[in-house]
Amino acid sequence: MIGFGDFAELNAMFTLQDLRMLFTFMGAVAVAGALFYTFTKDRPKGPPIHRGIVPGAVLFGTGWAISGGCPSIPIVQLGTGYLPALMTMAGIATGMRAYRKLNARYFHFDTGACSI
Amino acid sequence: MGRCIGTRFDHLFYHLLVGRRFGVSSAWERVVHWKVERETERSDQTLTAAPDDFQAALMAATQSQFGASGGGVAVSSPPDQAVESTPPPQTRLPMTANAILLVTILLGAFGAALINGRFKIAGDMGPAFADIVVDGPLLWPTLFVGGVLVGIGTRMAGGCSSGHGMSGCSRLQPVSLVATSVFFGTAVAVSSLLLWVI
Repeated sequence: MIGFGDFAELNAMFTLQDLRMLFTFMGAVAVAGALFYTFTKDRPKGPPIHRGIVPGAVLFGTGWAISGGCPSIPIVQLGTGYLPALMTMAGIATGMRAYRKLNARYFHFDTGACSI
Repeated sequence: MGRCIGTRFDHLFYHLLVGRRFGVSSAWERVVHWKVERETERSDQTLTAAPDDFQAALMAATQSQFGASGGGVAVSSPPDQAVESTPPPQTRLPMTANAILLVTILLGAFGAALINGRFKIAGDMGPAFADIVVDGPLLWPTLFVGGVLVGIGTRMAGGCSSGHGMSGCSRLQPVSLVATSVFFGTAVAVSSLLLWVI
C-alpha cells in the first residue's frame, strides 16, 4: 500500500528512508507537466512571491510533519476511520480563520485575490 | 501509480473546466469562511443582476461629490478602448463546489477503505503515529496544534502540497518551486527530529 494517508509511509519519506512515495509524487508532477504542456496553451506565471511565502511554508512543513495533514489528508484519515483526524481538521479551520485576521491586521500579504 | 495518474487527470480536467489552479487548501479556506463567502456571492449576484442600476448609483454619487459639470459625458471613456482593456470575466467557483470537493474526498477515502478492507473505527492514529510522534492523552492537542500550523502556513504561503507541490510545480511557477522546496525541507527536518531525537 502506498499513500500520503499512511503516517508510517509519510514519515519514511520525510526521513528519507523510503523514497517510493517521493518518486510517486515526482512522477505525478512530471506527468502533469507533460499533460499541461500538451493540452493547454496558456503559461501562467503564478501568484507573486511575497515575504510570507518562506515563513508560511516553514509553518506548513512543521505542521505536516507533526499531524500528517496536507490539508486533504485528515479528511482521508477520517474516511478510513481514524477519528482523531477530526482534531486536525478543527486545527486547520482555526488556523485559517486566525490567519485571515492576522493578515488583515498585521501582515498585509498579497494572498492572491484570485486563488480559486 | 494508479492514484498518481488519477490525481493528475483530476488536476488537468479541473484546470480545463475551471481555468484555475487546483488546490485543496483554497477549498478549505473558502469552506471555513462560508459566512463571508455567502455574503460575497449574494452581493455579486445583486451587482450582476442590475449592472445599470449600479452604474447609475455610482454616477449619481460621483456627481454629488464633484458636481454635475460635463453631464456625465466626460466621465465615460471612448468605447473601443474600454472594450479592449476589459479583462476576461473571473471564473470563481461557488463555495458549494469547494464543499462538495471536500465531501467527495471523504466519500472516496471511505469507499477505498471499504473496498480494500482497511476501514476500522479507531480512537488513535495508528501504531506508527504513536511510536514516532505521541501516544496517550497528548494525541488530540498535538493534532490540533499541527492542524493550526497547517492552516496558518498553507494560507500564508498561498498553497499546500496539491496547490504548490503538484499544480504549481508541474507548471514550473517560481513561487511554487520556492514554497515546495521550503515546506518539504522543513518537513524532512522536523520528521527526522521526531524519529531520531525526540
